Amino acid sequence: MEKNKIDTSFEQCMKCTVCTVYCPVVAVNPNYPGPKQAGPDGERYRLKNPLFYDEALDLCLNCKRCEVACPSNVKIGDIIQSARLKYGNNKPKLRDYILANTDIMGSLATTMAPVVNFTLGLKPVKAVMDGVLAVDHHRTFPKYAGQKFETWFKRHALKKQEAYERKVSYFHGCYANYNHPKLAKDFVKIMNAIGYGVNLLEKEKCCGVALISNGFKDQATRQAELNLGSIRKAVARGEKVLTTSSTCTFTMRDEYEHILGLHNEDVRDSINLATKFIYELVDAGQVKLVFKDDYTRRIAYHTPCHMEKLGWAIYSTSMLKMIPGVDFVMLDSQCCGIAGTYGFKKEHYNDSQKIGQNLFRQIHDYAVDMVATDCETCKWQIEMSAGVTVENPISIIADALDVEATIKANRK
Amino acid sequence: MKEYDVIIVGGGITGAGTARDCAMRGLKTLLIERHDLTAGATGRNHGLLHSGARYAVTDQESAEECIRENMTLRKIARHCVEETDGLFITLPEDDLAFQETFIASCLKAGIRAEAIDPAEAIRLEPSVNKSLIGAVRVPDGAVDPFRLTVANVFDAQLHGADLLTYHEVTSIVKENGRVVGVEVMDAHTKTRKTFRSRIVINAGGIWGHHIAELAGATVNMFPAKGALLIFGHRVNNMVINRCRKPADADILVPGDTICLIGTTSSRLPYDQIDDMKVTPEEVDLLLREGAKLAPELADTRILRAYAGVRPLVAADNDPSGRSISRGIVCLDHETRDGIPGFITITGGKLMTYRLMAEWATDLACKKLGVDKKCQTAEICLPGSEEDARTDRKTAKTYGLGAKAAEGRHGTRSADILVADKKDESLVCECEGVSVAEVNYAIETLQSKNILNLRRRTRLGMGTCQGELCACRAAGLLAKANGCARRSVEDLAAFMNERWKGMFPVAWGETLAEAQFTSWIYEGVCGLDSFVKKEEE
Amino acid sequence: MKFDTIIIGGGLAGLTAGIDLSRKGQRCLIVSSGQSALHFFSGSLELCSLDEDPFKAISSLGEDHPYTKIGYDNIIRYSEAVQPWFKEVGIDFVGEHGKNHWRITPLGGFKRAWLTLDEYANIPSDGTMPWKKVALLNIDGFLDFHTSYIAAGLAERGVETMVKGISMPELDRLRENPTEMRSTNIAKTFAGDLIGALAARINEYAKDVDAVLMPAVVGLTGSTDVHRLKEMVVRPLHFLPTLPPSVPGIRIQMMLKNRFQKLGGTYMLGDSVVSGEFENGRLKSICTNNHGAVKFEADNFILATGNFFSKGLTSTVDGVREPIFGLDVDSLEVRAEWYRRNMFEAQPYMNFGVSTDGCLRAMKDRKPVENLYAAGSVLSGCNSLKEGSGAGVAIISALHVSESILKK
Repeated sequence: MEKNKIDTSFEQCMKCTVCTVYCPVVAVNPNYPGPKQAGPDGERYRLKNPLFYDEALDLCLNCKRCEVACPSNVKIGDIIQSARLKYGNNKPKLRDYILANTDIMGSLATTMAPVVNFTLGLKPVKAVMDGVLAVDHHRTFPKYAGQKFETWFKRHALKKQEAYERKVSYFHGCYANYNHPKLAKDFVKIMNAIGYGVNLLEKEKCCGVALISNGFKDQATRQAELNLGSIRKAVARGEKVLTTSSTCTFTMRDEYEHILGLHNEDVRDSINLATKFIYELVDAGQVKLVFKDDYTRRIAYHTPCHMEKLGWAIYSTSMLKMIPGVDFVMLDSQCCGIAGTYGFKKEHYNDSQKIGQNLFRQIHDYAVDMVATDCETCKWQIEMSAGVTVENPISIIADALDVEATIKANRK
Repeated sequence: MKEYDVIIVGGGITGAGTARDCAMRGLKTLLIERHDLTAGATGRNHGLLHSGARYAVTDQESAEECIRENMTLRKIARHCVEETDGLFITLPEDDLAFQETFIASCLKAGIRAEAIDPAEAIRLEPSVNKSLIGAVRVPDGAVDPFRLTVANVFDAQLHGADLLTYHEVTSIVKENGRVVGVEVMDAHTKTRKTFRSRIVINAGGIWGHHIAELAGATVNMFPAKGALLIFGHRVNNMVINRCRKPADADILVPGDTICLIGTTSSRLPYDQIDDMKVTPEEVDLLLREGAKLAPELADTRILRAYAGVRPLVAADNDPSGRSISRGIVCLDHETRDGIPGFITITGGKLMTYRLMAEWATDLACKKLGVDKKCQTAEICLPGSEEDARTDRKTAKTYGLGAKAAEGRHGTRSADILVADKKDESLVCECEGVSVAEVNYAIETLQSKNILNLRRRTRLGMGTCQGELCACRAAGLLAKANGCARRSVEDLAAFMNERWKGMFPVAWGETLAEAQFTSWIYEGVCGLDSFVKKEEE
Repeated sequence: MKFDTIIIGGGLAGLTAGIDLSRKGQRCLIVSSGQSALHFFSGSLELCSLDEDPFKAISSLGEDHPYTKIGYDNIIRYSEAVQPWFKEVGIDFVGEHGKNHWRITPLGGFKRAWLTLDEYANIPSDGTMPWKKVALLNIDGFLDFHTSYIAAGLAERGVETMVKGISMPELDRLRENPTEMRSTNIAKTFAGDLIGALAARINEYAKDVDAVLMPAVVGLTGSTDVHRLKEMVVRPLHFLPTLPPSVPGIRIQMMLKNRFQKLGGTYMLGDSVVSGEFENGRLKSICTNNHGAVKFEADNFILATGNFFSKGLTSTVDGVREPIFGLDVDSLEVRAEWYRRNMFEAQPYMNFGVSTDGCLRAMKDRKPVENLYAAGSVLSGCNSLKEGSGAGVAIISALHVSESILKK
């Protein structure tokens, strides 16, 4: 039995305080010790005595903006998340269990979607959720679709994929599967149009981001191992594994290793965001996209925190800029405040909204038709708080794409 | 002028312990130190709570003294001690047969020593070198020499003793051949004063050689230099030693938020004891040997390097110094040199300070005709008394500053007053030192400069070595002493003192930190224009 | 992905080059590994502080000094453009081109400066104090600014100070936290609506004084709040630098970055360049940590990665290296020679940096890389602390490199 090797990147901290400038939580909640104190400073003390662990670390959003800002490469966010899992009060609430298990909730809810959507929208139900489960009653719950994407895919799309020589695997994630199958269908539509067939993974579980942030490390590890197993099989077939969610991508590429301590280096580079994959093909001249003439929209792009950490906003935005009818606006990169399940919790609701305030104001000022973003929870938050439609870049591209012309352009 | 029973020269642990013992036995006591408390060898050692195991094979007497004092300190100085236990490991290049001799010697001296399976050793202390072939568990621990000294002096003061720091003894006053007091110079005002007493106890460590000379006595002491390195965090939670005959760099001690490897050992000319440098060769040796105890050290940030000097006392019949005693030396100069009123207490080690104090005080009492028993082994030091507030021990609700302060001041942390939220603000973020704790150290523990604050609170001892906190601390001192200019000069001296420990190990993060610190203090703040000739 | 010029490092040097090149039509990428040293900005730019006349001292620097390589006439030319150049970005600096003035340090000392932000206090080169009596304010509980130091420094120069603390209920929230009462968080609190209330508090003390001095804790995201506050305060209001983080430094960083992006530049923050592909003495492409196998190609590259603090140079027990490309480094072999025992002496390690040829092209294996230039504090041969030349070397070398690239 060997102690988990500790992340000693806190040794690189120069105490320069840059991280504290960019922490969205510090700016709104004085009870949060701040990334420097919660991360590298606190870690030295926790190594001395776990009693120095502070439950206020639960206030961390895990947005990793501290890490992006750090000039010394300290994995501040990872240190904080690891400390929460290692020293935190590991008796999560029923509410956290429900929020964290996005796929169990999803499977149950999809089968009864109309009832669930109706129920989650009812005032008395919201009051119970608020009072008993401490899920804030202001929250609009994401709607559940009547038919899972997986079901649709098997019935309507699977067969067609055999026609394609080149294939990719698709990690659809919970959101595209249960809440918004249109996104997944849009993805299949684009891939097919540029001449790629789509496979689903042999088995797919939720990437585990919500489990990690709610303290369910063991379950997160089990799901991660299952996903990595499926991904390895896809990679062995010579397929890249694509996603349409920046958070799923980030979790599987980075958090699996940094937080759960799993080995994923063999497949890490094969896990890719769809926009990045497609951009690289277009950039290399291997694929052509033809867009409709009549698609015109003013679209602002919001960089989700995990997209900022991945550094991949450049691909999604470059893709959007390729659409001739798009009047593109880049929003300042800042946290929207939702951070997955964080903003759903009653105790965080106010902070969550305060954090996003500047962003919502900016969106309003730009008077755009639509906001594009690669993260589903950012979409819920912005739609609820800024009253504007939010779409994944993949859906926007799919809508703007002249499918027939694209197919023709990519035929050899 | 007040007439003292005893004047003790030297504010290290020996002088502090002696002052406490004397004061507790009702003697009117004055403790004089030329710099700050712990400024000499006391503040420059391992902070190891020896079990005595290290001496067991070669010096049974020292080993027995150690284990007795070890057990006493756990009782009377709880807040200065960490009961970590220690391992004596055998590496493939060592002779495993030595382990048997080692254990037998330990047991003979009364030291619990138990051979454990290497796998068990790795489980207990995951940082240990995994190639070990043997391990013995002993009751080693860590002791904070700063805290221990301050607590002793504080208790002496509570028992009526007086303390004068930054006063250097310039001569020993004699009347008719009898020592009757000392003349001192105030380092700040450069004025001279005389203090009278019936006995003067020389507890000056290696500097005691000079004090004895002032009294007209010769005590042959040989300075032995030992260099150590401090690492940025606690790599190990148990003391790790090599199970072999004592050698260089074979002890790794965890202490508060850091750990230390040491020591080298070399003779040093007496005229260099105030200006010790750690050489690159010493640093390389410490790193090389340290990594054998815990391989992680090779990649761990080093905060600083420093060297201490311990007095090796030559036996009276051997002025050449070839026959050295490592035990306690208590000299009655009346019988030895015909100088009544003068006592020297030296030799020994941090671990046996209390016993040294007891010997010296016994002798002083005998001369003064005082018949009082020593109680320093029974009565707890301030901060280590029984704590009635058990509720705080497990509470997770109060902040890092308060928790850290409790570790440093024990039960006395209750005296750290927090009037409002501003007092809870952290001055030193690395070590969790709050405004309130700094003010407590200024007011109650007589801190006059940042260096004093560091020794009483750990301020500036963390990762950034004062980069963030020194300026804040100087600001609070300026408020307390009403002199902004003096505080800025003090700030310059403090940053320079930090640099002296950093540059021997300034590569990697330590060099980057040093550069950042210079940019801030010299570039942004212009501290270079406030440099004054240093006091220490 | 293909660019005209790729700049590694997004601090003052990198952004200066990036903006200059973008303005002249180049497609640029900046890769920045975390935020820059502008976060510790003093409020003043130094060109060369060895003398009252910055240019007098420049002409006497050694031949390995970046200024000497750039050339006196070029420095004059570039330096004349600096003030208007910043103005265009929306940052107002004041100062005489040929004459250093004084700025007040957080410790109440005086240091030479070339250009100082117009909202900051600055003292003419002859040392005449512009005020007889000032109100010196601080925010209660803010530990990174100490009025007593400043008051002592001003008193030595015959200025009477009235020291006051400002407390506002809105700041109590920050005081709840033992570490986060930092300049930037105070500035976030003051943004927008509270400026009026702050001005009212300041005005309580501003009546009988010539000027009001306070720490730079306003204007994190733009200078609007600074201007509003100055307008509302009844006496001239001047800021003084605090300990890090620097509110105006962060604002400048942000404004430069925004300007660069508006000009079409791509700025990738939190990413680091891990390798480069060299061919025939040229750097062909680079790869970064975040983008894995993706190759970023360009005609020219600028290395503006900073010194030890920003990891432009790294050191181990065995020596100093340039960590990305393994470029030639000017340093000393024997570790003991890197340092002086007195912290305040000129430390030899401060002069370490990447070797360059006369055109500031980086050397690799003793040959210049044809299209890889170095700018800013990664350059060897200068001790910016002792010369007071940090910002000057960053800006001037960046403009010089940018011009060399455009001339090609």
